[in-house]
Amino acid sequence: MAVGALALATALAVCGGLFARRAKLLVDLVRLGRPAERFDDVPRRARNEAVIVLGQRKLLQRVGPGLMHAFIFWGFLVLLPTILMAMIGAVDRDATLPWLGHQGWFALLVDVFAVLVLVGVLAAVVIRKLQRPARFQGSHLGEADLILALIAGIVTTLLLWHATRIALGLNEWPAGWSPVSDLLSGLFGDDSVTEVLERVFVWAHVLIILSFLAYLPYSKHLHIFTAPVNVFFARTGAGGRLEPLRFDVPEEEMRFGAGTVPDLTWKQTLDTFSCTECGRCQDVCPAWTTGKELSPKLLIMALRDQVFEEGPKLVRGADGEFEPAPLVPGAVTDNVVWDCVTCGACVRECPVSIEHVDHILDLRRHLVMMDSRFPSEAEPMLRDVERASNPWGKPQTERAEWAERLGVRVLEPGDPAPAVLYWVGCAASFDERARTAAESTARLLKAADVDFAILGPRESCTGDPARRMGNEYVFQAYAEQNVSTLNEAGVTTIVTSCPHCFNTIGNEYPDFGGKYEVLHHSELLARLVRDERLQPKAGNGAITYHDSCYLARHNDVAADPRELVAAVGEPIEMERSGKRTFCCGAGGAHMWMEERGGKINEERAREAAETGAETLAVACPFCTVMLDDGVRQRGDDMRVVDVSTLLAESLDDGDGRPA
Amino acid sequence: MRILVCVKRVPLTGGRMVLTEDEQALETRHLGFTISPHEECGVEEAVSLVEQHGGEVTVLTLGPAEAEEQVRDTLAIGADRGVLLATDGAEWDPQATAATIVATIEAEQAAGGTYDLIIFGNESADAGNYQVGIRVAHALGRPVVTGLKGLSIEDGQARCEQEVAGGRDVYLVPLPAVVTVLEGINLPRYPSVPAKLRARQKPVETSTPERPEPRLEKVRLVVPAGQGRQAQILGSGPEAAPAVVEVMRELGVA
Amino acid sequence: MAVLVLIEHGDGQVDELSLQALTLARKLAAGGPLVALLVGPGGREAAGQLGAHGVATAHLAEDERLAAYAPGAWATAVLDLVARLEPAAVVAAGTDRGNEVLSHVAARLDLPFAANCTQAGAGSPTPVTRVRWGGSLLEEARVHGTPALLSVAPHTVPAAATNGAGAPTIEAFAPRLSEADLLVRVAEHVSTVTAGVSLAEAKVVVSGGRGVGSADGFGMLEELASLLDAAVGCSRVVTSAGWRPHTDQVGQTGTKVSPDLYIACGISGATQHIAGCKGAKNILAINTDAEAPILANADYAVIGDLTEIVPAITAELRKARSP
Repeated sequence: MAVGALALATALAVCGGLFARRAKLLVDLVRLGRPAERFDDVPRRARNEAVIVLGQRKLLQRVGPGLMHAFIFWGFLVLLPTILMAMIGAVDRDATLPWLGHQGWFALLVDVFAVLVLVGVLAAVVIRKLQRPARFQGSHLGEADLILALIAGIVTTLLLWHATRIALGLNEWPAGWSPVSDLLSGLFGDDSVTEVLERVFVWAHVLIILSFLAYLPYSKHLHIFTAPVNVFFARTGAGGRLEPLRFDVPEEEMRFGAGTVPDLTWKQTLDTFSCTECGRCQDVCPAWTTGKELSPKLLIMALRDQVFEEGPKLVRGADGEFEPAPLVPGAVTDNVVWDCVTCGACVRECPVSIEHVDHILDLRRHLVMMDSRFPSEAEPMLRDVERASNPWGKPQTERAEWAERLGVRVLEPGDPAPAVLYWVGCAASFDERARTAAESTARLLKAADVDFAILGPRESCTGDPARRMGNEYVFQAYAEQNVSTLNEAGVTTIVTSCPHCFNTIGNEYPDFGGKYEVLHHSELLARLVRDERLQPKAGNGAITYHDSCYLARHNDVAADPRELVAAVGEPIEMERSGKRTFCCGAGGAHMWMEERGGKINEERAREAAETGAETLAVACPFCTVMLDDGVRQRGDDMRVVDVSTLLAESLDDGDGRPA
Repeated sequence: MRILVCVKRVPLTGGRMVLTEDEQALETRHLGFTISPHEECGVEEAVSLVEQHGGEVTVLTLGPAEAEEQVRDTLAIGADRGVLLATDGAEWDPQATAATIVATIEAEQAAGGTYDLIIFGNESADAGNYQVGIRVAHALGRPVVTGLKGLSIEDGQARCEQEVAGGRDVYLVPLPAVVTVLEGINLPRYPSVPAKLRARQKPVETSTPERPEPRLEKVRLVVPAGQGRQAQILGSGPEAAPAVVEVMRELGVA
Repeated sequence: MAVLVLIEHGDGQVDELSLQALTLARKLAAGGPLVALLVGPGGREAAGQLGAHGVATAHLAEDERLAAYAPGAWATAVLDLVARLEPAAVVAAGTDRGNEVLSHVAARLDLPFAANCTQAGAGSPTPVTRVRWGGSLLEEARVHGTPALLSVAPHTVPAAATNGAGAPTIEAFAPRLSEADLLVRVAEHVSTVTAGVSLAEAKVVVSGGRGVGSADGFGMLEELASLLDAAVGCSRVVTSAGWRPHTDQVGQTGTKVSPDLYIACGISGATQHIAGCKGAKNILAINTDAEAPILANADYAVIGDLTEIVPAITAELRKARSP
């Protein structure tokens, strides 16, 4: 027994030491990161832990792989005490955990979950070896195989150990409670061979566990420690809100965005340590699925590799000044950074709450604000936002022209605030295809007798395109200006027909002193329909509704537009809808950037056309333009139209559009 | 090298011209402002030359107090200091502008040394008088080359390139000299945010010169009537193609 | 009143824009003597064409040092004549050279100079209408000085011949050139061989704006241009976006074109751009927006998506040409 104790102690020391040393490096690397405010709203964070980690909710979005992982994970939780029991048993054959070691119900749980783990492992093998889904492209498959083998080994040795103990009559629990082990015990006689095997299996079990422990922090399996922490510190606020930067800093601190490894926040570093290379993000990324360079998974893996490459030197505080390499183009290429449409599908899918969009935005912030390094076709847009107050570079005086024709009130300085301020947005003000939605909305609000007005020339760009490109400086100038205009006018309620304006004003302007009740036009219109202040008539045929990323995924607005669609026609859903919607391709300032590779808008138009619907309903000016382009390029016979226009048309008696 | 660049604040008009009631100026409420593209390239040229040869770039403007915004923009591109000759907003004619700029330059040079190169935009975006740079050069007794698409400095001499039919004309003039440049001579950089923040701290000296009587006296501004063009809509979409080809035939180009 | 006109010429031919300037000068002279100045080689031959435009006397500034253009030397030639003839006004075409030379003259005489005029009248001070914003705005002004120095905005005054008889009297003279006059002079000419038609000289220009969408999008414009022997141009947004080089830019700060037909595809019509193409005899706008400002400046328009319309025109042209 002393020998056993000594052996165990040695193994624990060696493996534990290896684990601890590596864990310390990982902790130091995380602590190297810049600060991030993630300590608020503890109750919400605790709830996320319960639902996402314990409940495996995000993984279960895909039922097959979800169950596969859940079995292994829940099994791992249930089997935790057996590790202790095995170590005790390895040292002293006749000892076990007090009380728990004798519980039949626990033995039953162990058996059941051990089998479930094996089922999970088998399912994993089937998925990885037979099915071979595309999402694993680029992942380290060999590592995964090794880990699965180790898990299988752990569980098998456990069952076999229990089996031999039952065969030798050493079981501390009633054998009938562990049917599988009991069944396996039939393979062993009550003899000296089995006595040896019993020792073999328990030591094998312990040693596999300990070597797994040592191997863990060197592999992607370290997610078992990092993921629960990462989920706890995930964002709790609105998905569409970005963290503002401060510019009133002294010269030495003028570093904006993430240019090198030390610029990453600790949450971003933790993100890279939590990645399991599962590729669910890659699967739903509009850029990747249309043949572009960007894969959110590969991005996080590349950043992780860079952290491991340079981090240790930075932690040591190298004696020669160590110059970390630029992340772009060192770890990732410029294309990868610019291909992103900030749709957030990756963040939504990620089972371990990695926030890929935050990484990309911080990379962009550095490229744009420090290096002036960005696609040249976006430069006119940035200059126009800065100088002309809108990304189209057209004079602000033209904003109200459509409204004047309809007799919409333009709010002048000093006027009393309207009940609702209609924030039109630059797209509807300057692009003729987007304008129809504004005209329809205005007509509807008038028909329902809503007291509303627009700011006209005093409405500047919300700054969203600049912010999504990474130009936080220009964005803040406009945020402050708009908040000042709105507050001076005494505005309390805002309705907008653009989801980007909706997101920015509603979720991001509070950081600049602008707190208003902000509604998307579909929300207000749905309310008016429910209150019967607007009475649409059904009449359109099949309509399929495209959810905007910034409405449905970032902001949970999906039901109201559907109510409007259902009121005027027969809704048909696309497969990728609601929070799993597929981007139109304009987000992340892509409305102003060229697209390499396949076209995201055409891909979405294809999906819409496949429903067979005659009408593609949208609720966003960018979606309108992108999907209209997509439909035309494909030659589909489908009409792309905003829900407000559908509603306005249905209020008309009979023939066609309102006068 | 000491380089001076002269710029002018102009509104971003977009597609339409709207005048104030008194017909003396464009209605600029709600309009954004900038400097003419020629001048922006001039500032970039100056900053590049100083990056190459060492020295300092000063930017000067004659305009309303709000023109400080444009001066700060040029400081963000890389100019070192600014001089704002602040007017009350009224327009100055080219002779008055040139005379005041000359007086300022002479005072500056007495204090701080000669400007090796003075750069103007070829013409301002709004008034388009084409003459301020040449008048300033004359008053200072320096050679002036206009309409540059290429500029390099070597051994105290400026090699100046103009685009003409069939190629480029090259002029070689000794420094100190005056040049006027055209957009296209370079690609102005997009300033980084630290550069913009630093620009806020750079020195801008303001003075308020007296406006002399104008000798090119503006009476009023007039928006030209649509020049008689009322576009005839030939059709919509690709179906209009035959009508287009018909018109091309009539015009003798198809 | 006597009016002196600076005439630009090349290869023995008088420049079209100088003839336009001459037409305005003739109106200004209102019956008084019209005198021309030609500088540099080839002047004699060009001068012969001026009788049909009402020029009584053509003065030729001749000196071997005037072979290469030098603005100061040209200005001295003007000044010499002004001192001798004391005209009421000096007029030139609003070309780069015309504006440059008269600016020098104005600086040396300390007189006001009104550049790019569309109209001028008798009187002192001289009332003029001149162009601002590349043509999108007009300024009515008064020139307080004698002689009144003015240049004529290109393509705003149609050149008109008179029923005038024969060739003008020719007088040659040598201007009193100084060292300083020749300091700024063309030292070298570098020829560039441009593939295809030059933008400034093309009879047809196919031009693209933001609506083209990308650098690749210009492919269809290039195809149409090749069928029409046209040059391809673009708006300032396109050059700022990096899709086309600045040499293709048509606009107030780019090239100013005067083709028989200017086709503006996906161009909204900002004044910056209109300034560059208003010299065109005919403008065809292709745009999705029927309210775009370009339509107010165009002769013809097609409303719709240029990516559908331009290839359709190309196809129609090919069809029309195939036997």
